[in-house]
Amino acid sequence: MLERISALASARPYVSSVLTIAERAGFTLTQVAGLSPDFETKLSAAVGPLPGSVSRAQVNGERVIFRIGPAQFWIVEPEAGTTPARLDGVGAVTPLTSSRVRIAIAGAPAREVMAMLAPVDFHPAVFTPGAVALTGIHHTPVTIHCTGENAFDTYVMRTFARDVWDAITDAGAAYQF
Amino acid sequence: MTSFRRLSTGGRIARNQPVTARFDGKPLPGFTGDTLASALLANNKVLIGRSFKYHRPRGLVAAGIEEPNGLFTIGEGARNEPNVAATMVEMTDGLVAKTQNAWPSPNFDLMAVNSLLSPLFQSGFYYKTFMGPSKGSWMFYEPFIRKAAGLGKATDLPDPDRYDMRFAFCDVLVIGSGPAGLAAALTAGRSGARVVLAEQDSDFGGSLLSGNDAEQEAWRVSCVEELQSLPNVDAFTRTTVQGLYDGNLAVLVENRSRLHPDPAKGQPRMVLTQLRAKTIVMATGAIERPLVFSNNDRPGVMLASALRSYVNRFAVAPDKRAVIVTNNDTAYDAALDLAAAGIAITVADHRTAVSADLLSRAGARGIAIFPGSGIFDVEGSKGVTRVKLGGAHAVTIECDAVGMAGGWSPVVHLSSHGGIKPKYDETAAGFVPGGFPASHFGAGAMMGRYGLSAAIAEGSNAGASAASHAGFGKTRPVYAPEHATDRSYAILPSWSPPQGAKGKAFVDFQNDVTIKDVKIAHQEGYRSVEHLKRYTTLGMGTDQGKTSNINALALMAEYRGITIPEAGTTTFRPPYAPLTMGAIAGRTVGSHFRPVRRSPLHDWHVKNGATFIDAGLWKRAWYYAWAGNSPETAYVKEMELVRRGVGLADVSTLGKIDIQGPDAAEFLNRVYVNGFAKLPVGKVRYGVMLNDDGIVLDDGTTARITDNQFYMTTTTAQAGEVMSWLEYLLQMQWPELNVQVASLTDEWAGMAVSGPKAREALQLAFPDADASNEGLPYMGCKDIPFDGVTVRLLRMSFSGELAYEVHVAADYAISLWEHILKAAASTGIKPYGLEALASLRIEKGHVAGLELDHRNTLDDLGLGKMAGKEKDYVGKALRFREDCQSPERWSLVGLELMEPDKKLRGGSILFAATDEIKGHGRGYITSVTWSTELNKFIALGLYKGGLKHEGEEIIAAFPLKNEQARLKIVSPHFIDKEGARLNA
Repeated sequence: MLERISALASARPYVSSVLTIAERAGFTLTQVAGLSPDFETKLSAAVGPLPGSVSRAQVNGERVIFRIGPAQFWIVEPEAGTTPARLDGVGAVTPLTSSRVRIAIAGAPAREVMAMLAPVDFHPAVFTPGAVALTGIHHTPVTIHCTGENAFDTYVMRTFARDVWDAITDAGAAYQF
Repeated sequence: MTSFRRLSTGGRIARNQPVTARFDGKPLPGFTGDTLASALLANNKVLIGRSFKYHRPRGLVAAGIEEPNGLFTIGEGARNEPNVAATMVEMTDGLVAKTQNAWPSPNFDLMAVNSLLSPLFQSGFYYKTFMGPSKGSWMFYEPFIRKAAGLGKATDLPDPDRYDMRFAFCDVLVIGSGPAGLAAALTAGRSGARVVLAEQDSDFGGSLLSGNDAEQEAWRVSCVEELQSLPNVDAFTRTTVQGLYDGNLAVLVENRSRLHPDPAKGQPRMVLTQLRAKTIVMATGAIERPLVFSNNDRPGVMLASALRSYVNRFAVAPDKRAVIVTNNDTAYDAALDLAAAGIAITVADHRTAVSADLLSRAGARGIAIFPGSGIFDVEGSKGVTRVKLGGAHAVTIECDAVGMAGGWSPVVHLSSHGGIKPKYDETAAGFVPGGFPASHFGAGAMMGRYGLSAAIAEGSNAGASAASHAGFGKTRPVYAPEHATDRSYAILPSWSPPQGAKGKAFVDFQNDVTIKDVKIAHQEGYRSVEHLKRYTTLGMGTDQGKTSNINALALMAEYRGITIPEAGTTTFRPPYAPLTMGAIAGRTVGSHFRPVRRSPLHDWHVKNGATFIDAGLWKRAWYYAWAGNSPETAYVKEMELVRRGVGLADVSTLGKIDIQGPDAAEFLNRVYVNGFAKLPVGKVRYGVMLNDDGIVLDDGTTARITDNQFYMTTTTAQAGEVMSWLEYLLQMQWPELNVQVASLTDEWAGMAVSGPKAREALQLAFPDADASNEGLPYMGCKDIPFDGVTVRLLRMSFSGELAYEVHVAADYAISLWEHILKAAASTGIKPYGLEALASLRIEKGHVAGLELDHRNTLDDLGLGKMAGKEKDYVGKALRFREDCQSPERWSLVGLELMEPDKKLRGGSILFAATDEIKGHGRGYITSVTWSTELNKFIALGLYKGGLKHEGEEIIAAFPLKNEQARLKIVSPHFIDKEGARLNA
């Protein structure tokens, strides 16, 4: 099989004892959009409960579902996932795995670093685990998912990923020492 | 003669932490807790600079952010920062400060000759003097004037420091930590609301830091300790709120210079915070006003409140004696505190009656009071030697310093950033906020309520109201210290100085504006306060008139015979205080200036000798090292490769859009001018779309993958715009169409295999795919499985040669690219870059971004015949506007250079052979290239009347290089008009 090569293959690694900034590869991303009035019912039957709003993700086992717009969802799961096969006839299915790079930012200073990147309230009482923000980092659109107390997955456009990586690691520069 | 000294006890300085700065190259000792200003005074450096225009000797006036005179250049080399107020610079080891605007030194400044010429330099001097003799004279004089004027000089070296930017949110933002601010923050904090307290000073307390009352200090400490114990409160010192904007957006800038941060370790010198607050409490205090009298700018003449700050906070005082001149009671705070420190004090009080309480307390401290008196003149040049009083007590007093107490000006700047004009409050004798939006509150001196207990009560109320407004109900108020009392702050208005004194009486110290300048402006008809400001420069500069505005307005009102509120005030705009550009730029510097977009093949290009060129945000492979080291020669070689063999180009930057749904074909049929409803599955079609104004928006291709799924490509430049356009049409114009669109630009990589050997290369790379004319005809497409992934083959040509595009999920792009190069190596396949790509299409006559510039119609580009006559499409109606159909429009032509020894340049202006070479001509060259096929320069251009002039000889002029060349108008299709190559 052809080798997959990350958009961050040539990026400078980030090393810190208190903060992790690293690519979290090994996922598939599928966009599903509705083409019928019963779209959400059909989708829910295929992948489980759906998030009620754009601002919260729904985690069904290893499958994470984001509501990204009216009748539009992202489904993220490990590479070996079965989602695409389940979506036949559900709606407009668009594979987007290559289109995004997932960057994990985790550790005690993670919220401080995120606050330097996106105009989102990252206060622990506000942006709680499960919270989602469709926002921007370094002038590019990103999706930020709070995956833990001080842990975030950021889905970045592939073609901007190297530059956004540089912006994120630059924001974490003070924690490399 | 003015002299200051450090007191042996007292102050908030850490005497066990001595620090040494370098001032004009010499050591300047001080203590942690000192400012540069207090350290200068403690070292008896009283004459610290020269004035802006007249180069008069100047000393410190204030102890805070309002300082007009004490401006220094801080740092050196690349860190050189001019015009920094010494009152805002904390003393640290390693601090470097230099005097400015004086040569060779402030003590002996040759430019002081300006003072002798001062009769010439009155307001409006520049405008009156340098406007003649000719119309352009000002442009001649301006550089010289600018060189002579100004204060410090900025460096042009790159700033080595780091400046961070962050976003923050809170329920209640409290600005200022004086008594009102502390009470507001604590009351709001006790409610559980998320509170941010921003204090520009190095410590919390505001005016309390300048007092010496033990009970008030205990109250301050208690408040600060409680605030710092609350997890829901973030309290920042050294943080100035520079501006308030719509949506309760506050811009805060924290200065960490004292820490000497190391940018290599990610430590910022300043942090700019974009804070969005649900509610805002402004407790920004008030600034004391000077009084206007003869020679009131002599070093040693200061605000009374500044003298009090220096003695109480920094343990620095005039050597022996000071005279305080006042029109209100608050001066006695300074008088009493200075007297308590052993300084002999005389008070000249404009008022004839002074309260018995003050008389009694002053008497107990041995303070002499002269009621009904003011200062007639100040004697001394580089300091104060004596003051002459006028009025009821015309006596002369030897002294070291003079304190001016002209009343207080509320700091209303932030309250008016949103556009609400301040209003004049007679009781407060100053401008107060003219109102607040629902979520803004004000408290304390900034509202004109100067008393301590009133400020605390109002602050606590404002904090409770703000918290409540933000949804937090229950709180506990903050109470004032038991013995806090509110005295009168009423002033005796007396704006004009006594008549008869000959010295200059300054209204604005920083801009050297005297009372005479204000009078001249009035006499010359400058009636508006905004005109007064611009004519005299009053209120400009780094202090923005923080000490001068009210006196100037009052004088203007007096001259005009109107009231101060009728005169009005100038507009306050952000930033509140001087702000280094670095803080505004933050991290958007260098490579972070704007985002860079990289193709999925970028890393391969880097490793294989590509030279890059910026194309919008993209970095695109321009040409490759195998073809040469300069673009001029390399692209020609790459073109030859494609014309004679086969080349591989990265076309991943093309916009790509997934269009799905039962109405997808109908949707495309409406979007494109040509028909798409009947496009068969497995076929690709070139299409052009218009804006609704009938002008071409973009072109591209769309392949039908299934009955209900299409794969659109757009130009690189218009990818985002087309995507937005499609979404807009679906959501707003045709919601009845059942279609979904998704951007695939980042998902799919694209590579063009072009040249006579393209089929051979493709077959070698994908042996299981039938790339024959039957298996994949021109404008055909199909998805094939290859090595575990789906590869999309589209047979279409941008170069005019037999060509295919190979699209694949971006993660596999480099692997597939390398596979093609390796598998098809026997064909001689090599990569070619953007320059060759764009040149090949010129030979073929394909329009691209340079022609699709949002100004041209279908007919301008020679594409009018494509449009469906029967069907409707976006832009159809307005396409047929009279002007769009004019035969004289600039339209597409091919151009051939007729002079082989010359070069043709893009952007050249086109003229008819008989035209005078002048003006905008009849068109211009949009794209130009050397043609490897025709062995000459060829071009595409837009020319008035277009191909109607085919065969005519015209002139291309390039005025920037004074070049002209003869051209011939030809068909834009320079090669293979029949399409034999691409159909091969």
